[in-house]
Amino acid sequence: MENAIEVVGLVTHYGDREILKNISLSIPKGKTTVILGGSGCGKSTLLRHLIGLLKPTRGSILINGRDITVMKESELNEVRKKFGMLFQGAALLNSLSIADNVALPVKEHTRLEDSTIQIMVRMKLDLVGLSGFGGFFPSQLSGGMKKRAGIARAMALDPEIIFFDEPSAGLDPVTAAGLDELILKLRDVFKMTIVVVTHELMSIFMIADYVIMLDAGSVIFSGTLEELKASGHPRIKMFLDRQAENENYNPEDYLKIIAGE
Amino acid sequence: MKLEITDCKGIKMIALSGEVDMYTSPELREEMMNLIRRRTSPLFVDFSGVSYIDSSGIATFVEGLKGIMSYNGKLKLVGIPDRIMEIFNFSKLDRVFEMYGSIDDALNSLNSF
Repeated sequence: MENAIEVVGLVTHYGDREILKNISLSIPKGKTTVILGGSGCGKSTLLRHLIGLLKPTRGSILINGRDITVMKESELNEVRKKFGMLFQGAALLNSLSIADNVALPVKEHTRLEDSTIQIMVRMKLDLVGLSGFGGFFPSQLSGGMKKRAGIARAMALDPEIIFFDEPSAGLDPVTAAGLDELILKLRDVFKMTIVVVTHELMSIFMIADYVIMLDAGSVIFSGTLEELKASGHPRIKMFLDRQAENENYNPEDYLKIIAGE
Repeated sequence: MKLEITDCKGIKMIALSGEVDMYTSPELREEMMNLIRRRTSPLFVDFSGVSYIDSSGIATFVEGLKGIMSYNGKLKLVGIPDRIMEIFNFSKLDRVFEMYGSIDDALNSLNSF
């Protein structure tokens, strides 16, 4: 299986706190890979590294065989043209119409005629089920529609790899399922490499070809969805069975914590 | 992308090969629009050497079709590889464009009316 991304020995810190602890993983080309884990496990931090927004303390991230952690900003910008990214809140520009939001990256990075760009924008909006909404502004759209508009913008430059950060967050189950179907469509038709960060179990079961699970900054699983379901790892079982975590404070530790010692 | 304008039994044909993407589509647009400004019809486009087309390439053909239809001209796409046909199908454009498996099929279509 050919890999689109390879992470080798990645270590990162926020201040003194180690967030990613020497992690290595591979993301297969043309598949949907879900990065999952509980809140605070480091999955969004990993995503920010994959798109080159953060520099690690150590380690490398190979995209098409080239290490993006040592690239200059100008080189990184060239690589980023092959990426699409749907941010958690869709991150649309509120002062621009939906069509102008989708057109923006194309205008920024190509010398295509405006008439061509307008057709491309209508194609992308149709792809995400927003035909006819190009003249609307983000404030006039529902949460699910904003996410779809965000996907249309992420698709604007026909990326090779598209990243989704918690795509279902804040959406009702029906809208979230519609978004999952759209992700599958992108994989099947455009053969895109899709990376989804989520902790939504329903989504994972619907879209994942390949799963990477993080726990406290380490990779505790990588493999297929079937292998994940069959795993006997206690943390994975807790996650899949939605079990709450036990708090194991002893009274002395608790006193130290609240007394600030 | 490599682009060549040829005459195929008296019919203008754009023979494309390689990748039609955001960087090469402007050249395709310029050449195609030049032919359309001269009210060329029918215009054949040979896709058999195309290895990749992105949305800018598809949009360029939509623009071309719009232009050619303004004078009731005909745009005929020929020899589209399966992988690229899938994208046309997905974009629901397979029913918008006239498509033919071979140049002979496209030529025969001219005689069938």
